[in-house]
Amino acid sequence: MADPKKKGKAEGPVSYDPSFSKEVFEKVDYGEKIKMCMQCGVCAASCPLSMVMDYSPRKIFALIRAGKRSEVLSSKAIMLCTSCYSCKVRCPRKVPVVDVMHGLANYALKQGYVPREETALFGREFWKQILRLGRIDEKDLPRRYFFSKGIIPGIKKSMELADMGIVLMLHKRMKLLPERSVKGIKELRKMLEKASAMGNGGA
Amino acid sequence: MKYFLYWGCSLEASGSNYLESIRPVSKILGLEFEEIDDWNCCGASISYIGANDLSIKVLNARNLALAEAQGGYDIVAPCSSCYIQMVKVNHEIQENEDLKAKINAVLKEGGLNYTGSIRVRHLLDVLYHDVGPEKIRSHVKKPLRGIKVAGYVGCQTVRPYGEYDSVERPISHDAILQALGAEAVPFPKKMRCCGSGIFLTEMGYCMNLVKDILEDALNHGAEIISTVCPMCAMNLEAYQHRINKVLGTNFDVPVVYLTQLMAVAFGLDMKVDAALDRNYIPPEVVLKKAIGH
Repeated sequence: MADPKKKGKAEGPVSYDPSFSKEVFEKVDYGEKIKMCMQCGVCAASCPLSMVMDYSPRKIFALIRAGKRSEVLSSKAIMLCTSCYSCKVRCPRKVPVVDVMHGLANYALKQGYVPREETALFGREFWKQILRLGRIDEKDLPRRYFFSKGIIPGIKKSMELADMGIVLMLHKRMKLLPERSVKGIKELRKMLEKASAMGNGGA
Repeated sequence: MKYFLYWGCSLEASGSNYLESIRPVSKILGLEFEEIDDWNCCGASISYIGANDLSIKVLNARNLALAEAQGGYDIVAPCSSCYIQMVKVNHEIQENEDLKAKINAVLKEGGLNYTGSIRVRHLLDVLYHDVGPEKIRSHVKKPLRGIKVAGYVGCQTVRPYGEYDSVERPISHDAILQALGAEAVPFPKKMRCCGSGIFLTEMGYCMNLVKDILEDALNHGAEIISTVCPMCAMNLEAYQHRINKVLGTNFDVPVVYLTQLMAVAFGLDMKVDAALDRNYIPPEVVLKKAIGH
């Protein structure tokens, strides 16, 4: 666990700089919702992983207001959300904290930041599989994720987690045949392409 | 009662013991399930990495539109992640006409349209509210008497909407366990997160989350853990021995689906119906009091 004394300290004096807030309100999914934040910290106290984050969700929102663009977009906090919704149900100002964190992660990755490499690699393979099949193939996805950094790291990672695959296979919890795509895959791809262009962040 | 069962990607693979046990149990309870033809993945809780919010909404709206055209029954999701993805999009479409128009403009590309008439529900909701503990009790042939079960609810099963149970102190899971004759042990971490979709990529952090949940359940006397989510089941069961190795613990506690316990209590076949042979940590030892050997 991180040293509590070392975390959450932003460099330099903190003053309000609206330029990054404006960017977040306009370009980040659910970004405008943080206008409601009153810095109470219920989200931070409810989060199962806030103790290992560099900045708690509350601090992330404060940093956005302070215009600390690179601190926010490179913070591992925005990619450590487990989507447990504890913060969202408890926020007295109804900020959908989970959705904002996801929006920030998506935006940061598009801007070239990679706050958490492994989750970024896995998540990208996950979405690629949806575009390819319309469904998730649980045996194929880990394999693609393991090998996304090359053959050597792929073999190493596969060996590390081989026991999991074997156990699942032996207990009939793995589909042995390759997953077939949904019948309407072409239409689905067309819809997702359009949504990607129409929504935040562009394609 | 007729519903769509949207079982999702996991229940065909790592959560196959869930789907195998849902079928015979629902038959006994008179729940009629139909498949949404050509359903797609819900995007789970990790799709935001590769897709913007509108794409994820469209992905789910396609399933809602297909269900609406196919009969409009309630959609029942046994997977908490499928449930929350779909219920979230459904709420936002129902509450926001502009968003609905935007999504329908995209759905049109695939010849689809969604008016917003579908109700999305978790299997636990249907078991508790539509069937009810009393009816479940009436089908029990081998009560799970004397078996101490931790009814792990997890996160997305009731959060964030709390449509059918409390988001802080849910009772539905325990009420069904009690109807089966089991003792539902209270444990404070029943709502704490298991790490969900980032467990695999953030194992260093998430193993501690699972350790805390398992310890809490065991400290409160649990002999077995019951779940209603394939992600919870996977993280709580399949990583136990890895956690032992890394964190120096000594876990070996069976993790089963609520519907597997129902199949056992209904006197159904342990293997064919309850699919207990698919569990990684064998639950039969603990369930022997009910099974009777």
